[in-house]
Amino acid sequence: MEALQAAFRDLIDGVRLAPLWLNLGWEQTAARFRRTVLGPFWLTANLLAMSFALSFVFGELLGNGNWRSNFALIISGILSWTITGGYMVDAANTFIAAGDLMNTMRLPLTFHVLLMMHKNVINFLAQLIALWVVLFLLKLGAVPDASILLSLPIVLINSVFISMIIAMPATRFRDVFQSVTFSVQVLFFLTPVFWTPAQIKGKRSIILSLNPFAHLMELIRQPLLGNTPSLVHWEWGIGLMFVLGAITVTMLTFYRKRVVFWL
Amino acid sequence: MSCSVRLDGVTLDYFIYSVKAQSLRNAVFNLAVGGNLYKSQGDVTVVRALENVSIDLKEGDRLALVGHNGSGKTSLLKVIAGIYEPQKGSVEINGNLTSMIAHGAGLDLEASGLQNIRKLGAMRMLPKKVVEARIDSIVDFSELGDFVRLPVKTYSSGMMARLMFACATEFEADILVLDEWLGAGDAAFIKKASDRMEGFVDKAQMVILGTHNFGLVERVCNKVIELSAGRTVFYGTTADWAAWRNR
Repeated sequence: MEALQAAFRDLIDGVRLAPLWLNLGWEQTAARFRRTVLGPFWLTANLLAMSFALSFVFGELLGNGNWRSNFALIISGILSWTITGGYMVDAANTFIAAGDLMNTMRLPLTFHVLLMMHKNVINFLAQLIALWVVLFLLKLGAVPDASILLSLPIVLINSVFISMIIAMPATRFRDVFQSVTFSVQVLFFLTPVFWTPAQIKGKRSIILSLNPFAHLMELIRQPLLGNTPSLVHWEWGIGLMFVLGAITVTMLTFYRKRVVFWL
Repeated sequence: MSCSVRLDGVTLDYFIYSVKAQSLRNAVFNLAVGGNLYKSQGDVTVVRALENVSIDLKEGDRLALVGHNGSGKTSLLKVIAGIYEPQKGSVEINGNLTSMIAHGAGLDLEASGLQNIRKLGAMRMLPKKVVEARIDSIVDFSELGDFVRLPVKTYSSGMMARLMFACATEFEADILVLDEWLGAGDAAFIKKASDRMEGFVDKAQMVILGTHNFGLVERVCNKVIELSAGRTVFYGTTADWAAWRNR
């Protein structure tokens, strides 16, 4: 019972330390690009190169030969993926990377996960600006749908829970860390990041209907393209929040004290 | 503001993973250092770092932790700082606590001394104005001069110790937890640091210091705990400890 209370306290204290992780997130992002010429525009360059390459090849594969037709879908898909799936590699490394700090100062585990997620959100926002600029220049832009104001928090809460669930075992068993790196790559292909749900038919469409990451991604991508996500995505997003929240609390109850010894 | 530290029957085990438990066990038993290796479960080795340690400190107390390498000093400091939660026993801390346990911990080596002062201030959730107001006295106390503008990676370990100690004491905390890194400073600095720590008794602050420097213990601390293999072999006043050691 005491351990369960401590688990909730960990989550609450982590959220309460918002001024600290907000501050550190910006600072560490600045530090990451110290002594580079492009600075955070390296992220933008990465996004653009990836999107152009994928839309160039897939425009051909899909038979319409025109990269423009899919470009908006692909670039917004890759961008949405950063906070709906791509962050998981960072997530697995959260406590290992924060080891120095964890051995120096008493901080809730949730704090380290929120800091990691905040850095991913900063990357997302930096690239979001680039996305709008590029889509506007290519005359492919759309006014974002207001539903993003609700869907973004839902997705981020889910991502924080997923990160907690991955980060704890990844610290104890270093094989988990390696397998997450590779699973994220596989998930990237199984989720309609650079292809459309309409392109998959028959039995294989199960990877769409039962893939939580597909639903979470649509909750971000559709509003970016100016559409309201369909009801099924909202149902998945909200349902997952409760399921993942319960798993997170359970894991914190049993393993919170131990994580620091696993470093 | 009153502060207190109470530890009651604290027992701390380390779990060490993925080492061949059996062979390490034999190896460690033959060494003069280290805690008690008492059992192993498959690939997990358990080291008992602290066993049934109790301390009770009130405001103004300055406690020294002494004992040879691997006797549990740093483990005990980490328990007090809340980094490790012991498997048995209770820990009660009242007052806000600043811990500087590892050498260079919390410093960003690429950033300058000044940036690090601001960073350490931010980590303690101090308002920017308060940090800015203290910068001059931190630079003065650490005697780093123009070196504060250089990246910390160019500092010697003594210079880092100066910077860390100046920050730890200027950003006032009720309870200050320091480990052996203080010893990296030169004699003049250790004198200056101990003068400052002695001043803590007037401000009703508390210092908990892990050290091998017996001179420092006698000058600064009013209480001593000596550990050996994770157990308390002496706990009492500094005067009693000096007598106990010379018995």
